[in-house]
Amino acid sequence: MARHALAMALAPVALLLGMQIAAAATVGPVTDPIGVIRIPKGAPVMIGAYMVLSGPDTALGEDEERAIKIGVNNVGGKLLGHPIALDFEDDQCDAEGGQTAATKLASTPNMVIALGPACSSSATPAAPILWQAGITDIGTACTAPALTAPDRKPEYDGFVRTVYSDNDQGASDADYLYKAEGYKTAVTVHDGSPYAEQLVTVFGNDYEKLGGKVLSKEAVAPTDVDMHPLLTRIASEKPDVVYFPIFTAAAAQILRQSKEVPGLEHTAFFGGSALLSADFIQAAGPAVVGFRIGYPDISASAMGKGYPKFVAEYKKDYGEGPISGYHANAYDAFTLAYKAIMKVSKTDKAGNLYIGRKALRDAVFATKFEGISGPIACDAYGECSQFHGTVLQFTSADPKTFGVGKNPIKIWPK
Amino acid sequence: MSATAIDRGPWLTALARINAVDIVLWALRIGVLLVVVVGTINELIKDPYTAAQWFDFLMFGLTLGSIYAQIALGYTMVYGVLRLINFAHGDFMMCGAFAGYFVATPLENSGFLDTHPVAGMAAILAVAIVVSTTIALLTERIAYRPFRRAGGLAPLICAIGVSFFLEQTFRGMFGSDVKAYPSPSWQRSAFQFGSLQIPRVDALVIVLAVLFMGLLYLIVQRTRMGTAMRATSEDPEAAALMGIDVNKVVVFTFILGGAMAGIAGVFYAFVYKQVYFYMGFEPGVKAFGAAVLGGIGNIPGAMLGGFFLGLVESIGPSVFLDGLGIPAPYQLRDLIAFTLLIMVLIFRPQGLLGERMAKKRA
Repeated sequence: MARHALAMALAPVALLLGMQIAAAATVGPVTDPIGVIRIPKGAPVMIGAYMVLSGPDTALGEDEERAIKIGVNNVGGKLLGHPIALDFEDDQCDAEGGQTAATKLASTPNMVIALGPACSSSATPAAPILWQAGITDIGTACTAPALTAPDRKPEYDGFVRTVYSDNDQGASDADYLYKAEGYKTAVTVHDGSPYAEQLVTVFGNDYEKLGGKVLSKEAVAPTDVDMHPLLTRIASEKPDVVYFPIFTAAAAQILRQSKEVPGLEHTAFFGGSALLSADFIQAAGPAVVGFRIGYPDISASAMGKGYPKFVAEYKKDYGEGPISGYHANAYDAFTLAYKAIMKVSKTDKAGNLYIGRKALRDAVFATKFEGISGPIACDAYGECSQFHGTVLQFTSADPKTFGVGKNPIKIWPK
Repeated sequence: MSATAIDRGPWLTALARINAVDIVLWALRIGVLLVVVVGTINELIKDPYTAAQWFDFLMFGLTLGSIYAQIALGYTMVYGVLRLINFAHGDFMMCGAFAGYFVATPLENSGFLDTHPVAGMAAILAVAIVVSTTIALLTERIAYRPFRRAGGLAPLICAIGVSFFLEQTFRGMFGSDVKAYPSPSWQRSAFQFGSLQIPRVDALVIVLAVLFMGLLYLIVQRTRMGTAMRATSEDPEAAALMGIDVNKVVVFTFILGGAMAGIAGVFYAFVYKQVYFYMGFEPGVKAFGAAVLGGIGNIPGAMLGGFFLGLVESIGPSVFLDGLGIPAPYQLRDLIAFTLLIMVLIFRPQGLLGERMAKKRA
């Protein structure tokens, strides 16, 4: 939390160090209250993207990077005669990385729009930096409720997302654990990230509304390794379930070490959406077998019509199926950006392209289409995606078997 | 009368010297002491844990502490001989853990580690020791030796650079994902003593760590090379004049430190089941803290500091913070461990056992 606060505090300083600041302008045929992008004839349309591309959660971002590239290929790599240039930045799934990536994108001349990130920890400091530079940001897998909450601050006005809010995920998880499984008591564990902290809060509220009891709210650091004392403490409370929607490294430690702590033999462990990857199977080892996570339904039947075709393209391009769970959301984020840019762009007689920044933001909010993840239509606070909750269960400790429907398999709803 | 006046004189003088900083420091000490005492009493009254669970906390702390202690030995020996804080030492541990992983995985997959645990562990430890020692020696020869006579912060910055170099090299070679360490069946069971139980892997790690540390202590105290190490630590120039080859001593120190780091890496990975390129940083920093706590340059001090830090991390949050009703106390375990470390150093700046060599020189 302290690191997040520091990143937020440094954001204005970063803005002063050379990035563009949004200001009203008339350029060519376009007037816009926060600025106009002029792209000379033949010059590329710059689209930025920032996501986790290193560390234990790499699969999450790499999966999205691949999806965005497929999206660009599917439109022929061009937009109104201009080549599309992608600039991917690694946000490392943390606040400092998000701030650095956003600063880099915001200081890139003529950056039209940003896609990503995958992590709420990165989005929280990054989205205001981008919007201060007049850049609309389409989140791809950052699900923290605060990012699209009705009371969000004005600096998040330029942020939308093609992924659901954890308000829905928390409710779905509470529903499954209390009603379907009959777990009456729970302990929650977060890792201080906005994603995990907000999700366990939502889950706790919904779980208690249903009649369950949250015995304690625990926390770890993402880099913690020795979970034995924490698990011993949890064992003393004898919960029916431990709800810990945290990231790969720490989650794998909790899961593996839970098998060694007396008193937890009859306690279930339930994780979150950040754990859908072969990397998690690799990190958790044999303890992963039987482990369950709450996840949006990404089976072909629950997705948009174009999803099977997308998966076929993915396999053709990368020689394997999707390596994590948010590829469809990333693909739809690119499609949303592409459609909105097409809608507001104007070309002069010389072939130069003009895009109003505020107009682009409004077009993103107004664009509706049938995405490969389902219908995309944004509300006034930037929530554009639909949610259908499900529960997935891992079946094997072999990372090579990873694949939704194979390992893990969908076990709920039946 | 005159005797009383003489007695009061120094007291009044001392009182007159007290300033605002002293008052704040004493308030801090009293505050931390109150947290510890009140938290402990409250926790004992609440009594939320069974005796078996308290025993588990103790064992987890000793296991972690024994690993910290082994890493701390490397820091303290190098500091003792070279006056260099070898920030790459945690990464030597990481190198050992990786080397052990590449031996342990095929042994586990073939079933050898289950059927021949002693031979399997010996092979894993041997390879880890060889790799981490080799890397420690190369680091000393290539990176540290040219800086040996350099003053200022150059050697320290070089050590930090080596740390980054090793981390990024391993990341480039083996990827940034977290790899699961094998968990043979004999490690997953536990020794049972009534209601108390000790996981076998914890017992193995503690016992072997104590044995290895004892062996190292004997080498330093009882062998000719150990005597040369201590002499060089006292005064390198005088040691050289007495015919001691200082280069040999430094190389020997890095061999011992590298070997201990390799062993610690394997133990760490067997207990916590994961290896990845950045795994050496945090235990490295904590082990450095342990070395300082025990009195840097002091070998028994490093062992004591390691065990102290491990126990405080394991037991501290449940005793001090839980007793005060602070939610999610384990999120604050680094804070509590390092706060206590700072408190010890405020009361005993030379560490628990003192920096022996420096004291003698003084």
